[in-house]
Amino acid sequence: MANGLARALLRILQLWRLYGAMDVIWIARDAKTFITWYITDIVVNGAAVTATLLLAERFSGIGPWAKSQVLFLLGYAVLASGLLDPFCNYNVKYVSRRLGRGQLDHTLIQPQPIWMALLTEGFSPLSGTAALLPGLVLLVWATHALHLSVTPAWIAALLLNLLASAIIILAFSYLWGSLAFWAPRSAEEISSSALRTLDQLKSFPLDGLGLGLLGGLLTVLPVGFVAWYPCRALLGIEQSAYQLFTTPIAAAIISAAAILAFRGGLKQYARTGSQRYLSFGHRR
Amino acid sequence: MPVPDRSAISASDTVVELTGVWKRYRQKQRSAQLREVVRTMLRPTVRTIEALRGIDLQVQRGEIVAYAGPNGAGKSTTVKLLSGLLAPDAGSVRVFGLDPVRDRVRYVRRIGVVFGQRTELWWDHSIAASYEWKRVVWDVPRDRYERMLGFVKELLGLDEFFHTTARELSLGQKMRADLGMALLHEPEILFLDEPTLGLDVLAKRQMLQFVKDLNRERQVTVMVTSHDMSDLEQLAGRIVMIHHGNIAFDGDFDQLRRAFSDRRRLLIETAEATAPRLAGADLLHSAAGRHEYVFDASEVKIAALLEQAAAQAQVLDVETHRADIDDVIADIYLRWQHDGKAQALATDAQSSQAQPAAPPAPTDA
Repeated sequence: MANGLARALLRILQLWRLYGAMDVIWIARDAKTFITWYITDIVVNGAAVTATLLLAERFSGIGPWAKSQVLFLLGYAVLASGLLDPFCNYNVKYVSRRLGRGQLDHTLIQPQPIWMALLTEGFSPLSGTAALLPGLVLLVWATHALHLSVTPAWIAALLLNLLASAIIILAFSYLWGSLAFWAPRSAEEISSSALRTLDQLKSFPLDGLGLGLLGGLLTVLPVGFVAWYPCRALLGIEQSAYQLFTTPIAAAIISAAAILAFRGGLKQYARTGSQRYLSFGHRR
Repeated sequence: MPVPDRSAISASDTVVELTGVWKRYRQKQRSAQLREVVRTMLRPTVRTIEALRGIDLQVQRGEIVAYAGPNGAGKSTTVKLLSGLLAPDAGSVRVFGLDPVRDRVRYVRRIGVVFGQRTELWWDHSIAASYEWKRVVWDVPRDRYERMLGFVKELLGLDEFFHTTARELSLGQKMRADLGMALLHEPEILFLDEPTLGLDVLAKRQMLQFVKDLNRERQVTVMVTSHDMSDLEQLAGRIVMIHHGNIAFDGDFDQLRRAFSDRRRLLIETAEATAPRLAGADLLHSAAGRHEYVFDASEVKIAALLEQAAAQAQVLDVETHRADIDDVIADIYLRWQHDGKAQALATDAQSSQAQPAAPPAPTDA
């Protein structure tokens, strides 16, 4: 068991090294591409949180959230979604595109488990890190402005929650994306729609919503766990320290649901295969 | 897990074994009528397509098997079943004794797949980078990789574009690079689905020669599908023809010609411009005293046709030759289209090794 785990870990590292090198070779092929790629990505990620930032600035905060707390929320939200980018390139994050376009076949003829291929194939440590920088800057700035007591335990809680939020985003994409196993054409873009919904709502504090709506935003559309809920816990707005573990628990539940849906989809795929094939977007 | 050494591979002669394989697809039918929209939404009309109807097929180690049939006959479905991309509804698919779907990871190490209309190459990377990717992902030991790399580079002439990105290659170069990549892990069997699609004459010839060399030098078993019968005839010793999900013929190309009629062309040059009327032969065209006929040599003797011609005109010259394989196949497809007697023909074909079995109840797709 331990041996198998160690072998799998070594294999993941080996494949990450391969895909990492390919990513560097790709993006660093000329200076113009490299600079343009980074600048546009930073601008796009910055623009995504501008509306909330301006609202917080204009009204000195949003609801019970002070301006610096909103900044923290924004930094956290950008980092949580940005964490996926270095690991989920080549439409690994938008799995419905791969399924809908019949590109799963490329993965199935590789001699490795599907999870291993999906975990490693999208690794892009250079081209996928542009979103991390603005997120990190916002988070550090807000942490400083809020005079938070940054202890190793708090940093560990922050990292754990960031990871859980990123997993929730990915699991949500797979949960909806698995529909493409049954409806490849009409659900081809369902992962991007699901992620866009999370993206549009992730940077708003959800306090003050009715219980029913809030419940929906923590379950059916778990946008509350992308930033709002873990930030409340990290900023001490929630009363109990146990709340720091709510997001990781939610991540485990949503991941389990996504895995079940995806496995069900794989069985369907073995029965019907894919009747269509589109080449674009698979190998960049 | 590294690629298994060839010495560890079972020496059994039968490498591919399909037994009573059924595959059905459900296809929703769309109405063109607006008033039908609500009904089809609530109760869609579903048509079941039987892509494979209980086929039995065996392929021996080292064979090159051409797998042919008209569009929608079930060729690609078979290749997908053999590549582990699809599971049969009923029956069993075994290659090297493995189930391609259940034993996928172990199995795909031993096979190579090339789909003519898609590429495994990394679009924005050089062929060299794609090949290195293949080495790592397939975990091919360095020495075996280098040996195979030298082999494919030489035989496929990859040197001239080895450091060019896939997106910049011509279709023929891409195809050669794809084929080379499929071989880097030394597969024991190669599935080629329309490998010559879109290639020019030279690229096609190079591709076919390479597959032949590969089979001869390394005893790699090859299953190839194509619509180009001349390609298949150049390449394969055996042809399996599939029609409406049944194996309609299984034998060599000469047997195929004989089984479905021994079609021949007869070219007669006469002193007169008018073409003689020959009972038992169809006139294809006639110009300037040269008249071309087609006839079935198993039913009509050439001597009888010449006798008829000589009685009607002054014969100056005569040529006869076998019909091109493409014509034979076109004829067969046409006949199937007209009378749907594939099964009867399969029974007629003495060479047919695999008869469609009595259909088991297929599981619903």
